[in-house]
Amino acid sequence: MDKQVQFSKEDEEFFGSVGSFGVPKFDNAMHGGVPRGFLVVGFTDVGSGSELFAKQFTSPAEEPDNTILISTNESELEIARVYNKYRWPTDIGVRTLGEEYNARVLEKELLASRYRLEGFKLPDIQRLAQTRFVDDDTQDFLTEMTNEIMAMGPYFRAVIDSLDFFMQREDPSRVVAMLRMMQAHTQLHRGILFITVSKDTITPAIKQEMAAIADMVCDFKVRTIGSDFETSMTVTKFRNAPENLSIMVYRVTPEEGITPETVERIA
Amino acid sequence: MDEILRGGIPYGSTVLAAGTCGSGKTTMGMEFLVRGALAGEACAHFTATEPSVKLLENIRQYAFFDMNMIDSGLINVFDMDVLYSWLGLDKASFDLDDVHALIKAIVDIVNTIGVTRLVIDSVTTLCYKIKSEQLIRDFLFTLGKKLATLGCTTILISEITSATENAHWSSFGVEEAIADGIIVMGDVERMGHLLRFLQVVKMRGTAHSRAKHAIELTPLGVMLTPMLKWGAVSDKTSKWGQ
Amino acid sequence: MYELDQRIAEQLTEVSLSSSVQVRCGNSNAFMVTASTLIPLMQMFEMGGVYICATRGAVEIIEAFNSIGVDVSNIQFIDLVSSGILGGTDVPYDNITFVDSPIMLESVLLRTLYTLRIISSERNFVLIDSVNALAIYNEERMLAEYLHTFINTFRQREVLSIILNIPDQVPPAVLSNLDLYCTDLIDRGQVVIH
Repeated sequence: MDKQVQFSKEDEEFFGSVGSFGVPKFDNAMHGGVPRGFLVVGFTDVGSGSELFAKQFTSPAEEPDNTILISTNESELEIARVYNKYRWPTDIGVRTLGEEYNARVLEKELLASRYRLEGFKLPDIQRLAQTRFVDDDTQDFLTEMTNEIMAMGPYFRAVIDSLDFFMQREDPSRVVAMLRMMQAHTQLHRGILFITVSKDTITPAIKQEMAAIADMVCDFKVRTIGSDFETSMTVTKFRNAPENLSIMVYRVTPEEGITPETVERIA
Repeated sequence: MDEILRGGIPYGSTVLAAGTCGSGKTTMGMEFLVRGALAGEACAHFTATEPSVKLLENIRQYAFFDMNMIDSGLINVFDMDVLYSWLGLDKASFDLDDVHALIKAIVDIVNTIGVTRLVIDSVTTLCYKIKSEQLIRDFLFTLGKKLATLGCTTILISEITSATENAHWSSFGVEEAIADGIIVMGDVERMGHLLRFLQVVKMRGTAHSRAKHAIELTPLGVMLTPMLKWGAVSDKTSKWGQ
Repeated sequence: MYELDQRIAEQLTEVSLSSSVQVRCGNSNAFMVTASTLIPLMQMFEMGGVYICATRGAVEIIEAFNSIGVDVSNIQFIDLVSSGILGGTDVPYDNITFVDSPIMLESVLLRTLYTLRIISSERNFVLIDSVNALAIYNEERMLAEYLHTFINTFRQREVLSIILNIPDQVPPAVLSNLDLYCTDLIDRGQVVIH
């Protein structure tokens, strides 16, 4: 049975059919922005600036409480510093799964080391005797992340940077299955979801599967030209609008963050 | 049992209670602890075969058991998988370091609480995670020695598939050699019916009875009576899977 | 009013708690002899006890006593028969426990010992009804050994043991053992000539 989501006229007028990338010059080149309901997947190289792009993608924040950045590599402090630097809105939702992993899983490993080295004290033993179940709720970050996205309401904006964390810890096919669920939710609720994943952490087959699910695919590259680096983003897929396939060469400026230098169409 | 053992299990002994499934090993082990707790001894039960929640639920039906003993800490029930998790041992197999960590943890617990009666149910399940036979031997030998030093009387419950006279009581070829006592529990088949039995094969330091006894698991605890000698003519010892 | 054999009651006044009484009866007077033994124990001597039913199911026995106006609710029944009948253990009385089969003699003994530990009466009896039924299922020497153990166990515990049998249908080895080990004999055995 198809689930129907009701959208109010005011929302339709307010949000429109497209949302900004967070990079105004890129929006202009892409006929206004990314269509509502799109899943955008970015395949990244190290040093390509994709992390900054991911944060900048949240900056339009049409509804701050319906906007979220899920980061697996950075701390809240670091993220806040970047947002303050570029004067992007800081009242959006931020979830730092990397920090949570450190707190929950690594702390547990530290405790285990302590018990093995120093032994159990009486309070530990008393607690152990009263513990009837293994504390399992620390482990499934993939489900937690998926649930976080699935809980977003109509016209949401979300960024996941990056899926590497999950690819390294989970069965990749399970990660792809979750991706499908998030794509369906994004489409149904006219949300915009941007997800990054390093090219090095996935096999060609998984990359192909992810590209097939995504509505838009961006390829973040970095190459050396002489003693300089050139960072670029190639749109290799744009569902139903092949005219939007393009290469954006950009640099990072203190005023704008990701700043396109050239945008060339390739279709 | 005390009659059969001519007094009881000598203090500090490590006793192997080897039995087929359903033979009453867990019940006997729990009654051993309860009787100790009633006499004011600190007792501990490490359960590897079934979750402690289920164990306590099943043992409640017995009138000799009182949940207050658990709540007051007279009897401490530990789930082995929780202990594994706390020690970072939630993995498929244990190496030498892991085995030492486990021994240290058990000895720590015994020493800190002052446990004088201990049941490990079952040592078979515990040892499945130890891949090398040599390591299993070391584990059981070291554990038994350390517990004896602490004056702790231990029952190691072992699961066997057959309790025949010619069977080995050890799943890993070593338990019966290191144990101070061996109690075998199983079933005899008489005209298609199964009768539980118990037999003390070995108990160092006692002039124990070696007769086979029929047992009933009653709400008051394990009750025993010698098996009829002429019954042995028709009885067959039951072996699972046959 | 059901007519009982009063002489049985008189004979029972001469036994002690550590006695073991062999009660012989015939095919036609088995219930009368059983009732004449059990009712004085319950009413005159105010004893409780355990009735081991190997001949008929416990429900049948309870209802037979109820039909003659005798309440046996304070007697514990160990039923060795009904487990062999589908639905036989679904009974409306809470003073009945079941053992799977009359061949599980050790279980019967242990169950009897357990039952004696939990009942409240101070002076108790155990009654086997009957040796003949046990003889159908058990080899002669084993049954003889069992009865010897049974008698000695309850004698040691000062529990009166009553052993019913129809003598001309009991294996000779068993009967001779009963003659040897029982302290008393109540003989109402009848020879029926067809």
